[in-house]
Formats: sequence, C-alpha cells, structure tokens
Amino acid sequence: MRQITYKIHRYNEGRSYVQTYSFDYEPDRTILWGLQKIKDTIDPTLTFIAACRSAVCGACSIKVNGQAMLGCESKIDDITERFGSDTIEIAPIGNFDVIRDLAVDWEAKVNRLKTVAPWIFMKPEFNRDMGSRQTPEDFKKFVTNTECILCGCCASECNKLSANREDFLDPYVYTKANRFVQDSRDAAPMAHVNPAFEHGLWKCVHCMNCISRCPKHLKPAKDISELRAVATKAGLSNKGTRHAIAFKQDLMQTGRLNEVTMSLKTDGLVDSAKQGLYALRLWAHGKINPLELVVPHKPVQGIKDVRTIIKAAEEAER
Amino acid sequence: MEQYDVLVVGSGGAGQRAALEAAHQEGLRVALITKIFPSRSATAMAQGGINGVLNNVAKEDTIEDHIFDTVKGSDYLADQDAVEFFINRCPELIKELDYFGTPFSRTKENKIAQRNFGGQAYPRTCYSADKTGHVILHTLYEQCLKENVHFLQDWYLLDIVKADDGSVGGVVAWNMKEGRVEKIATTALVIATGGAGRMYWTRTSNPYLSTGDGMAACFRAGCALKDPEMVQFHPTGLGKSGILMSEAVRGEGGYLLNNKGERFMKDYAPSKMELAPRDVVAKAIETEIAEGRGWGTGLDAYVVADVRHLPKEVILEKLHGIRDLAITFEHADPLVQPIPIRPTCHYSMGGIDVKDFKTCGTVVPGLFAAGEAACVSIHGANRLGGNSLADAVVFGKVAGEGAVAYVKENQAKDAAKALNEAANGWEQRFREVTGRTTGRPISEIRDEMALTMWNNVGIFREEKKMEEELAILNRLLEEYKTCYVGDTNRTFNMAFVNYVEVGSLLTIAKAVTLGAMRRKESRGSHLREDYAKRDDANFLNHTVITLKEDGEYEVGQSEVVITRFEPKERTY
Amino acid sequence: MKYAFFPGCVLEGAAKEDFIATVAVAKKLGIQIEELEGWTCCGASHVQDVDPLAILSTNARNIALAEAQGVQLMTVCNTCTLMLREAKNELDRDETQRARVNNILGQAGLRYKGTSDVTHFLWVLIRDYGLNNLKAKVVKPLSGLRVAEYYGCHLLRPQEETGFEDFQIPTSLADVIKAIGATPIDFSRKLDCCGFHAVYPAHDSVMQMTGSINADAAKEGADCVVTPCPLCQMQLDMFQKEAKQYVPSDKDMPIIHMSQLIGLALGISPAELGMTKRHMTSTAALNRFVGA
Repeated sequence: MRQITYKIHRYNEGRSYVQTYSFDYEPDRTILWGLQKIKDTIDPTLTFIAACRSAVCGACSIKVNGQAMLGCESKIDDITERFGSDTIEIAPIGNFDVIRDLAVDWEAKVNRLKTVAPWIFMKPEFNRDMGSRQTPEDFKKFVTNTECILCGCCASECNKLSANREDFLDPYVYTKANRFVQDSRDAAPMAHVNPAFEHGLWKCVHCMNCISRCPKHLKPAKDISELRAVATKAGLSNKGTRHAIAFKQDLMQTGRLNEVTMSLKTDGLVDSAKQGLYALRLWAHGKINPLELVVPHKPVQGIKDVRTIIKAAEEAER
Repeated sequence: MEQYDVLVVGSGGAGQRAALEAAHQEGLRVALITKIFPSRSATAMAQGGINGVLNNVAKEDTIEDHIFDTVKGSDYLADQDAVEFFINRCPELIKELDYFGTPFSRTKENKIAQRNFGGQAYPRTCYSADKTGHVILHTLYEQCLKENVHFLQDWYLLDIVKADDGSVGGVVAWNMKEGRVEKIATTALVIATGGAGRMYWTRTSNPYLSTGDGMAACFRAGCALKDPEMVQFHPTGLGKSGILMSEAVRGEGGYLLNNKGERFMKDYAPSKMELAPRDVVAKAIETEIAEGRGWGTGLDAYVVADVRHLPKEVILEKLHGIRDLAITFEHADPLVQPIPIRPTCHYSMGGIDVKDFKTCGTVVPGLFAAGEAACVSIHGANRLGGNSLADAVVFGKVAGEGAVAYVKENQAKDAAKALNEAANGWEQRFREVTGRTTGRPISEIRDEMALTMWNNVGIFREEKKMEEELAILNRLLEEYKTCYVGDTNRTFNMAFVNYVEVGSLLTIAKAVTLGAMRRKESRGSHLREDYAKRDDANFLNHTVITLKEDGEYEVGQSEVVITRFEPKERTY
Repeated sequence: MKYAFFPGCVLEGAAKEDFIATVAVAKKLGIQIEELEGWTCCGASHVQDVDPLAILSTNARNIALAEAQGVQLMTVCNTCTLMLREAKNELDRDETQRARVNNILGQAGLRYKGTSDVTHFLWVLIRDYGLNNLKAKVVKPLSGLRVAEYYGCHLLRPQEETGFEDFQIPTSLADVIKAIGATPIDFSRKLDCCGFHAVYPAHDSVMQMTGSINADAAKEGADCVVTPCPLCQMQLDMFQKEAKQYVPSDKDMPIIHMSQLIGLALGISPAELGMTKRHMTSTAALNRFVGA
C-alpha cells in the first residue's frame, strides 16, 4: 500500500521538533484531509486550524514543502507529483508567532491591520438611510482587493518581514489599505495612505513572494506600488521616493540610469557621506569611473522619442 | 474575572452585527468571544446574496411579496408576525451595509445590483459577485475594528451561567491560548454561534465550526430548541467534501450517472429526469447509493454528475464556477471527467427558541439569540436562498438593540458564586477527560454519529430508523461520558475543544431526532417516508424541546403565528 | 540563433564585466547577440512606483524596437527581464491598455505589436541552445568547484509573469552549473531576496538579508555564489563587508555572474571576462580557475 508521509514541524510550550506520520494513500485527497486523518487516527495532539475547507475563510494556511498555501485546496497528488516525493514537509506559516504546532497567532496581527484604518470613510453625500452610490466601473477598480481572505500566505515568505517585522506591515495590510484608496466612495484616501507611508510602504524589497503565494491571485506588491504612486502624488517623500524619482529623471534626461549621481539624489549629500558614498563604494570596487560625476552620460539614440513618450504618458494620466 | 455589559458569542454576521450595535452605545462595556479569527465563520461562505426589497431592478416588487414568498417558502411554519417584522427591516439593514462600505455589485444606475433567486417573485437578492457573505463579513469586521469592539479571540464558550434570580449572570469560556477556564460576568448575553450542520460531519456545506455550541449551551441553560428537525439539505454537494455545488450543473443539461453508467433518474422521474425537484433528485441519489450503485462507502459514497456531452463552450462559460470547484476540490475536470456528487446538509432552520422577535429575547432574562443559532421563526420548515444573510444582519442588530435596552433597565447580577462553581466544574472536567488513557476515541463517536444521523435522520425519515437512531445516540452519549480525548496539554488544545463540540453536536442531534419523530408529516425540508403529506390539522405548530432537571428531553409544541396568509398547498 | 541584447543600465556602468563576459560567451557559443540600439532603462521597479504608465510606454518602446528587427529581446538581468515581461504581459493581456499605450507610442511614430518575446540568457541556453550543446563546448570543466546557485527573485516570481519553471523548485541555474562541470550545492537560500531594490529605504533589513545569503553560502561549503542577475551580484558583493556586521561570517564569498562562470569553463581567460578587474575577495578554489 502506498504510504504518504508528513514531516510536521511541531511546537509546544517552548519545544520545537519534527514529527513524522505515515498513512495510507488515497487519491484526490487534500493536505488538510491528511492532517485530519492523523489527528483522528494517529495522534490527537496534532494541532491545526481549519474552518470552511473550501478556500474562502483563510484559516488553514500552512507551509507545504516550504511554501505557504491553503491546506484545504492543496492536493496531495499535486504536491507529491510536483516535488517528486511521497514525503511532504509541513510547517506553520512564516512571520507569525506560533501558538502550537501549525496554529499561529492572528490576534497579534490585528493591531498591525488597524494601522492603516481598514474601514471606509464614507463620502458625506451618502448616508445610512440611502446607502451609497457607485458606478459599475468604479466598483471594478477595487473589488478584486476585497477578495482577500486574510489567510496570511502573502506574509509567510515575505523577505522583508523575515528580516524585520517591526518597521514593515504584512503585505495584506497594504492590500487592505489600497482597497479603500481605490474605492470611489472613500472620502479620505490619505487616511489610509499616510499611515502606510509611515509604516514601511517604501521598505518592500520586491521579492514578489506575496504575489506568488496568494491563493486568491491578489497582488500585494502591486498594491504597495500603487500606494507609493498615490503617496508620491500627494507629496509624501522619503529616500525611496527620491530614488524612484531620480530614476525617472535619468530616464527623461538620457534614457538610462546614472549610478554615480543616483546616491546623491537619493540620500542627499550628508547621508551619502555618512554611509560612505555609494559612488565611492563603486569606485573602490573598480566599478565606475569617477569622472562620470562631472561628465554626464550621453543620451541614447532616439532620446527625443523617449521624451515624447514620457510626456504623452504624463498627459494621458492627467 | 472579566465584566461586561453586553457579551456576544460568535463572530459571524449576526454576532458581529450585534456587537457593533452595542458598541455604538456610549459607555457600554462590550466584548465578543469567538473560537476563531472573526472572518472565518460560515457567513463568509454564503455566495448568492442577501434579500431585501430595494426596487433597484424590479420596480413592482413589494414588501408584501417578500413576506409572502418567505411564508410560502417556509411551508407556512414561519411565524408571520416575525416574518413581517423581518422583511420590513431588510432594506434598511442592506443600505446600512452599503454605507459601511460593503462592495455590492452595481446596476447601471449605480445602485446595489439585485438578482433572481429560487422561490422568489422578483429579483431582490443583492449580491457582490459570488462572494456576498465574504464581503459582508469582512465589512462588519472592519466596522467592529473601527468601533474598537473588544474581541476575545480564541475563547470558546463552555456554559452559560445564571444568577440566583434565573437571569443571565455570565459565561464560562475556555481560553484556548492560555489553556484555562475563564469567568466572564455580563449583564446581557447574545448567542450567535451558528448552526449545527457538522452533526453530519463531512456531509455538510458548513465549516468545521458549525457545531451547535450556543444551541447546546442555551438548551442546558433552560431555553427550548424550536423546530430542530428542520434541517435544509441540498441535492448536489461535492462528493468528498460536501461543499455546495450550484444546481446549474443540472439546469444546463448535465446527466446524473450511477456506477453502471445509467442515467438513474429514469427510474425516479422519467419525464423530468435530472430536472426533477430537489427532493426527488436527492432521494434518487441516496437510493442509488443505498442499493450499491454508487462509488465509495459510508459518508464517502457518491454518484456522479456528467457534463462531458455538453458543448465545451457551455462548460467553460456557464459552468465556469462549478468547473473551478470540481477541479480544486474533487480533482475532476468536468471537461474530461464526471464530478462526484451527493446531497449535503446546508442550514439549520431550527434553533434557540426566541420568545420576542422584537428583541431576540429568550425565556432567560438577559439572554438573546440571533442568526442561524436562533429560531425566531422566520424560515419555518424551509429557508429561502438569500434570507440567511438578511436574517444574520437584521436579527444581529435586533439582538444588539435588545441587549442594550436590557442593560439600560437592569442592573448587573452578582453571579460570582455560580461562575466560580461552573469554572471549577469545567476545570475538573478538563483534567478528567483529557487525562483519560482509555475510552472510545472522540473522533470515532463523531463519525458514528454522522454516519448514522445521515442514514437514519438525514433527508428521508421514517419512524423505525429514527427509533434506531435514538438508541444509537443514547449509547453514544453514554460512550461520550468516558471517551478518549488524548491530549493533556493546556495550550491550544484542539482535541479538548473538539471534545466539547462533539458533545454539543450529540445534544442537538438528539433534539433533531426527537423533533423529527414528533412531526408525523412531511413539511418543507422535513420529509417523512411514512407520512408523505403535510398535516396542518395536527402539525401546523412548532416543535419545542426542553431539557428537564433529570437530563431527559421533553418534547412539546407551540403555536405558529398566522396573520394574513392562510396555509395553502405549496406549489411552484 | 539571434537576439537583440538588452544589457540594462548596470552593465553599462557598475557591472561592465558582465557585459564583456556575456558578449564573449555568446560569441564562443555561436549565439548572435547584438545590443539593442537606443534601449532605455526598464524602470527597475522604481519608476513603476511613481509613473506606471510612462514606464509601461517606454518598455513598450523597448520591445517594439526588437520587434522591428524581428528578434527576441534577451537580457542578463533578473529585474530587466521581469519589468519587460510584465510590460509585455500587460499589453498582450489587456487590449484597452495596449490601445492606450500605442496611442502614446504613435506620437513618436512607434507601435507595439506583441511579436517579440522577452527572454533571459539563462533561458536561452536551456530552451534554445540546449544544455548538451553547451556541455560540448566546455574545454575547462570546473570540476570540484562548489557553487551556491542563487536565483534571486525576478527570474522566478511572480510565476505568472516569468513562466519558465516552477518558482519553488527551479533547476535551470543548477543545470547550467552541472553542464560546465561544477557542482551546485543545493543552496538553502537560493530563493531568497538580496534586498537590492530597497537598499536605501530599508538599509538594516537589507544588510540582514545580504549577510544571511553570504554567510550561509560559506557555511554550506560554497566556493562562490553564482547568480543570473547583476543586481544581486552587486548587492552581495559590494555590501559583503558591511553585511558581516549584521550577520557575522569569517569567510569572504566571491559573487559571480552566470556569464562569467560559463566563460571560465569555455576557456575564456579571466581577464576577458572582466574578472581580474573586480575588487572581490576570492576563495582558494575559485583562484584555481580565475588564476589569480
């Protein structure tokens, strides 16, 4: 009889260990089914959380072979085929505090969610008795973001959170913020943008794990990008903003990036000097010619076209 | 000890709406306890929509029509005064949800979109694509966060505790993270813990959470369970998981096949075939399985729905959602494979007996109940699609209002002694049950309950089988007393929580069985093989089951309120 | 086999050696690459944050320039690949957006058609050239060299944009490393992010990330880290010393672009691959091949 083996990363009252369970293979079963099978027939102490088992409630997110997913919609057949093994490693999702075994602590995440005022500031022309009004087109602009099920998969492998959770919010928090920013009925988009800006909006490292993990095919990294655009338009500026604007200026001037002036534009003279000028660092590594500081790059062939295109795009955005 | 003015149990649509209502009142101490993160409840799974006469699509629709459709849908078992009250409040509650920011789909006039739903005269079901429950629940959660509702998350209701005068004193709850029994004193208590579909374990569309905890706790606290036998089944759940699959698969011309490859509906409804009514189809499927013409065994048995003969475009365009579900949860692409299906339990119409629909108050002063946990009764013997979300928010709010009004008129009762006793009792029970090294595993008891309930008090009921089931349940309740839990740890002991849940389910299953035995007629979702007709002369009344001091169930009845619609034969 | 080569900004400046190495390797293999005349910065995910439509339009122009030559656009940079592919996918998927962008391009007499693919040199070697053919050209197999295969992010994720291989269990880089006789170590941090794109606003976190990758490569016994991306290469190399203050490690780790490593196996001299010019610290094993 074919056996499926789960290697489960367990945790209880300060003790971490890996425990192995094997059970008879059955076709077309889910990872969650296997967990329930173990709890029912092998080890009642195995602890995990599940609710809807149809991928709409977000309760059963776990790491399967290193990757966050919903246990209820992930099939044993698919995982064993994809990874070429009947042994499956299961762990709690990352960047959450583990309560026990696969159960993680969501309560601790609520205050982080609240940072961005995750509720609507309804425009004054609407009221409780009449509700609101919205065009079908405006509805389409944000409805995808309302599909977030707060499963935490986007946060699990987020490299920024893994490095430091204190100065960055979980990706779904930015998605939630952007849900209101893009909602035509919200009177105060900056009430969501400002706190996002204050809490790590520009610290996303673009590792794209959030987009790859989302079981609902949402794109938190894109939400971060959209929020950055809104923040920038509203005049909120920091190193990240200046860095991005410097890129665009270079694109406009020569079509390409000037690494030498980039750090000056981003960090400012004082900060650059403090950190060891990026340009000096490049120079020290034999990577650039310091003359580039004074002798500007030549514009690319067709720069006129490039400038025309950028201006036309700016015009179209207006 | 925690001390509140209003305590809500349950974080679905009804619970969160109730908490929000109380939180809107200045100066009240409000908390909500929930055994899981507040956005996971059954409300999130409701797809279709929420009913209310807004006239955004059908100008001719009226409150009167909605009342009539609901009463007729209930097979005249709903209380008509309560239905009238309910229907009148639906539009304001939907508009309020809209004002809270719920992303409703829109009409060309920028208003909330409404669509047709079964059993209704006009398109009055407001929706947000196929995720209406999900967006409503998340919107309510957003509002609760905004109003700083105090969530006691990962706390699990154990028992309701009464003060000496018989009114609510508080609850004892299991703090799952800390692993200890907590005492919570409260003046008013709202129970909104949802249904009990998990008594059929995998043969339900309900989440694992729907274990009837609040129903069972209220039952022990002296409330009656009203019409518990009224359980709604859906003919086409997915085979392995019980997840609901829309009827479109039959509507578009799909075949139902048994393991011989026969379109078995020819033996049950030769002219209508697969398009026969829900109950006929459900019965046909169950008969095929019972007579060995399905696949699999026990609760895993199934027949299949086959759409492979349909044009590919029909499957890809009109059955898109079904195809996704089948691929994801049954590993079957309907383009190339048949889909395993079987009926599934969907909704508990019955529940905690609400004595005053204007407050959601029960027989216990200070105790209120709302949503699927409660029986107001507005669904009677059969609930209309789109009326459950409306029920949750309307009566969630009403219960919140009722609790607030109660707090304004009543002082907090000192129930410290009773709370201590209850807490000590549960602490001892925790140690005793988790410490056992022998006994029947709790999962076995659960599985036997589910399988036998499905076979004996499932969709089709008859006296003899139900008598058998009653004996089985009594035996299981005995075995439960010495069952094996198997986890002594205090932190997040889900085995202990599951143990209490199975206790709740057994408690409710017995009431369902006794109610179904009392009702010697067929009405709405309650189908008796031995009494195929509705019998208004004897059973146009509610089943009312209470718990006696000695632990026995007392089965009685109460009147159905009929105001303007005299019972007629229910035809569509 | 002909491609329009999109070197990307850093190959003009800070990572010139990767330009030299890529051109040398392609020549040796008989793959025709010609630098795309007039290419502009891909936006590097930064311009996307402040002016998404402008950068979508200039990237549409980049692809349109390749289309005019009837060839695929090839890069040797993860981020260039992703930015260009994201632009292409959006334009191919969304007709409204495509019309909007073509309206903008039209003002400069250009048009995006969707006829040229955007690819990476690593994918070209595997999908178009073939690993066996690569193997056949190896004259100096890198036997005994233990290589930490480090993919970086944007060649793998998001998979719906990149689409070459399973983002969770990629093998492309390891396959190339094996083809040239070296040994991939099955690096535990092969899927991690180096942090390059947030080195300014999230300096401390990025140093932590960079440091962990370098330190663990050393711990797992790698002689060098090889990456298909010049940005990862710059980040892991230039900030190596600083990152050790965040994640201590007593070893120095050479960081090499994939083109350079392949070049060594093809018998191209380190000087011709720009490797002696680099101010990097080398481990003994690597010196055998670099000849330093």
